[in-house]
Amino acid sequence: MTGGETRHRPYVVAPGGAMRAALRLARLHLDSRRVPAALAVVAACAVGLRVALRWQWEAYGALQLPLIFETGCAVAIAVTATSLLGEPERVTGRWLPLLRLSTTLALTVAAVGALAVAGAGAHLAGGTVEVLRNLAGLVGIGLLCAALLGGAQAWAGPTTYLVISLYALYTQWHGPALTTPWLWPARPPYDLGAAVCAALVFSAGVALIAVRGARDTGPETARSG
Amino acid sequence: MSTGSVVVPVPDETTRRTLPALTATSGLLRLEMRRSVMLWMLPLVATLFWFITYRPSMAYPPLWNVRAMSMQTTALSVFAPTVVGAAAWLGWRERRHGMTDLLIGTARPRWSRQLATWAATTCWAIVAYLGCGGVLYGVTAWQGAWGGPLWWPAVVGVVSMPAFAALGFAAGVLRPSRFTAPLVAIGVFLALQISLQFIHGDDSYWQISPLVAGPWEIGPDTGVATFYRYLPDLPIAQVLFLAGLTAALLGTLGLPGDAGGRRLRRCAAVVTAAGLLTTTTAVALAGTGRLDAHGMIAIPLLHDEGDDRPLRYTPVCNHTPIPVCLHPASAGYLPSVTAALEPVLTELAGLPGAPVRISQAAARYEQGPDNRVSISRAGPPTSGTPQVFHLLLPHQTATAEFVAELRVDALQSIVNSVVGGGRNASPAQQAVTEAILGTSTLAPGSPAAAAAQRLAALPAAARHAWLVEHVAALRAGQLTLEQLP
Repeated sequence: MTGGETRHRPYVVAPGGAMRAALRLARLHLDSRRVPAALAVVAACAVGLRVALRWQWEAYGALQLPLIFETGCAVAIAVTATSLLGEPERVTGRWLPLLRLSTTLALTVAAVGALAVAGAGAHLAGGTVEVLRNLAGLVGIGLLCAALLGGAQAWAGPTTYLVISLYALYTQWHGPALTTPWLWPARPPYDLGAAVCAALVFSAGVALIAVRGARDTGPETARSG
Repeated sequence: MSTGSVVVPVPDETTRRTLPALTATSGLLRLEMRRSVMLWMLPLVATLFWFITYRPSMAYPPLWNVRAMSMQTTALSVFAPTVVGAAAWLGWRERRHGMTDLLIGTARPRWSRQLATWAATTCWAIVAYLGCGGVLYGVTAWQGAWGGPLWWPAVVGVVSMPAFAALGFAAGVLRPSRFTAPLVAIGVFLALQISLQFIHGDDSYWQISPLVAGPWEIGPDTGVATFYRYLPDLPIAQVLFLAGLTAALLGTLGLPGDAGGRRLRRCAAVVTAAGLLTTTTAVALAGTGRLDAHGMIAIPLLHDEGDDRPLRYTPVCNHTPIPVCLHPASAGYLPSVTAALEPVLTELAGLPGAPVRISQAAARYEQGPDNRVSISRAGPPTSGTPQVFHLLLPHQTATAEFVAELRVDALQSIVNSVVGGGRNASPAQQAVTEAILGTSTLAPGSPAAAAAQRLAALPAAARHAWLVEHVAALRAGQLTLEQLP
């Protein structure tokens, strides 16, 4: 072609093409976030919890075990916030926030479900309500860390919170007990203040990740496999 | 002008080879230390240490045994996930940056580059541990804790750092993924916490866990390592285990074909084998432990008989009519003990059968079935002429519980030694004991309870005068309730 003329080919969408495109976009997004691996980790945590619940634990052990597995699920969800593509991905379209939001929510629901199933029929301290509250709060912390520090380092937040929470649980036996609702794992399952705190942290984390995504840390982000 | 020449020493062949290698290694280490992610973990670790170790330790009295032993457990719980996570993060750095192939062509073999990264992480972890532990030990010394610091718990903590770093680093190298750092950090934390649940009895292999600073079910006890030395048996086994684990993990990294030359890989194989052997030996040693009478785990093969000799000390006494003398490590308890015992001691002073001094006794520990440990007074309650009463301080550290337990145990024994009777006490002896102790254990409305109330209502001086006159008959069981005032 020599002239300045430009020929536009009409954009034709094949029947069912929009749906296929949406599915492909979702699949690519999930792959880029290593969601299948995260689901495998969640499943492994659920299996680990189920195996652990077959033993008899003392009261402190029975409370700390589920929390450790919940943290395992939470860090797996938090590190999926990292994008393989980094900065260029942010300008690709308006679906990205929605994809991030739905990925995070779906993973959280899957993790709660997996842990609840793992605890079914066994003596799971606190029951499913506590799993939901603790996991949501821990995921929120992980997502906030992903937004502030970068997805790959997001594990530092939930891990730190785990250590502090286990100490708070320990103080229930060896006082003075820590009773702040911000340390929700140390509160009873139906404690309203603790549930509100966990919900606030989860909402803040999900909102921040959906809108802004994980912090881009350059080459660290681009190649984190 | 002199034309004397300057003599420059010519380095021999070995020096010519070693010097640049050392310079390069130290340069690489400096570089790694500047780039280590562990550096950014230090504020986090310091905050956690303050919250979980320092703050609760300051709630304990300034006792080296309690603070050092609790530091070993809690500080390692703080350091384990952070050091392991940071090391795992650094372990897959080359892969993350896509530099694996590029770095094959460098002068340094892969194993030596990896060791430099591990060493930098370890250095920062040790600096952090020493800093945090140093502050805790410094404050404890400044608060006037008796005796010297217990170094073995700190040594176990320091030696744990290379092991944690090696564990995380090996995981990062062998399974490079964004999930490795968080999962291995939480996995190690889970393993450490769970291992404690498996400790049953004093001969458990799980005592090798670096979180264990003594008999697990006793925890940091005020009676341990006070009258006798802190036994280094278990810490030595733990240090061996940690050193072996570090060597085995680091050696494993040198085994693959691309880790270095044949000589280097052979060396790595030897290091791995030695590490595994040491680790197994240490675990086996921990399984031969037994709880000794002084409350510590003794391992026969590592035990030094010299550590069983009691420590010398000058007791600290108060000025009650019957003086109470405590071990200087427990001097902080003297005001509480005085407050609890003084009213009764004043009343009993000078009576036949009353002790002339109350002296703190060492505790005797005995392993029961499973994790049960019985703690009792070592030796008889009284000894010598004139009589000295041996007091076993309660385990409680909270003042109210401490005083309550003292009143129940020690005062009852002291009053019984004066009034007589013991378990087969006559009603008069029961009533007098109740009146002196100010308790209400007798059936309400019974004649003995009424007599006790009458006697308790008398002024202390009048009661003392009556006791001086009648204590011999009372001890002999010759007095009836009607003869009490």
